Amino acid sequence: MLPLFTTGAITSNLNLFYGLLIGIAFGFIVERAGFARAIHIAPTFYFRNLRVPQMMISAIITSATWMIIAVYFGWVDFPHVFIPTVFVWPYLVGGLIFGVGMIMSGWCPGTAIVGAAVGRLDAVVFGLGMLAGMFVYFINFHSFIDFANGSNIGRFTLNRLIGGNIYVGYLATLAIVIGLGIFMNTMKSIRDKKGEDI
Amino acid sequence: MKNKYWNPFVGGFFLGTALFISFIVAGQGMGASGAFSRITAELTYLYDSAFSSNAYASHYLHNGANALANWTVVEFLGLFLGGYISAAFAGRIKGGVDKAEGYPTYKRLFWAFLGGMLIAAGTRLARGCTSGQALDGASTFSTGSWIFMLAIFGTGFLIAPLFKNQWKNVN
Repeated sequence: MLPLFTTGAITSNLNLFYGLLIGIAFGFIVERAGFARAIHIAPTFYFRNLRVPQMMISAIITSATWMIIAVYFGWVDFPHVFIPTVFVWPYLVGGLIFGVGMIMSGWCPGTAIVGAAVGRLDAVVFGLGMLAGMFVYFINFHSFIDFANGSNIGRFTLNRLIGGNIYVGYLATLAIVIGLGIFMNTMKSIRDKKGEDI
Repeated sequence: MKNKYWNPFVGGFFLGTALFISFIVAGQGMGASGAFSRITAELTYLYDSAFSSNAYASHYLHNGANALANWTVVEFLGLFLGGYISAAFAGRIKGGVDKAEGYPTYKRLFWAFLGGMLIAAGTRLARGCTSGQALDGASTFSTGSWIFMLAIFGTGFLIAPLFKNQWKNVN
């Protein structure tokens, strides 16, 4: 039965070792796709090209499809797969803050680690900024702890929102992803027609 | 950009497959921001052990635990190594700062630092970043990941024009 670790099939140390290998694969793929460089990420903000969303969309469809196949055949015990607990307002506000930071810096945490690995100074500085930001967050956390831990709706998959079983959740995921893809394509066409940033 | 990089759809297929392997082995997806958080907590604790009772970091440090003894931290090391290995084989290890030509380096680094600080706070509120929350959650049909992602897209779209000069003619 899968997942191996959370169903007790492998030890914690072996899980850590596999974690290292999974991380290596992750970093390798991000670099091969070109996202160790902010100049390959930032054009997406202006719809000059869509490489970042194309990769995200492809990854989500791939992973979600593997998952639903594995659930269908009973290989994976889905409740043993970790899904972050949903805190509605903190997620919304967190996303707003994150979005500003991403446009400012041209990085997100994962790409910045890979950027630092290939020697980009802006990625290293971003990483230092993250450490500083974490520190500021920690020492002020007590003053907004109620907000940060509030509006908790638990493990909340899309099918719980709209009704139905996990297959409905999968289809809803595909629908959102495809809708976003169409939106991004439209924005890029508008941008291309205009010949300059929107 | 140059063609020597993977097609993004192919890259996405590999990324999604690696992510699925992560789910079926560890029971969790790949992440990055958690490691920054834990590194900060451990460094602060080493400087001042009273920090173990901090409102946020206490769950990393309780009972004398090492905040770095954690799957995401190990995976984070792998992420760094994997990026290095890939770039080394492709001859792409190269120092420098990415920005539009003529844009001042000090300004670029200032925004990178400030952006990093904001992103740190965003990831703590959202319990993850574009990997650990957006990609992982979307792959497991989570509603929260879409709240997070749509908020990022929305502000990104509104804020991007303010930072145009940083990325002028970059494509």
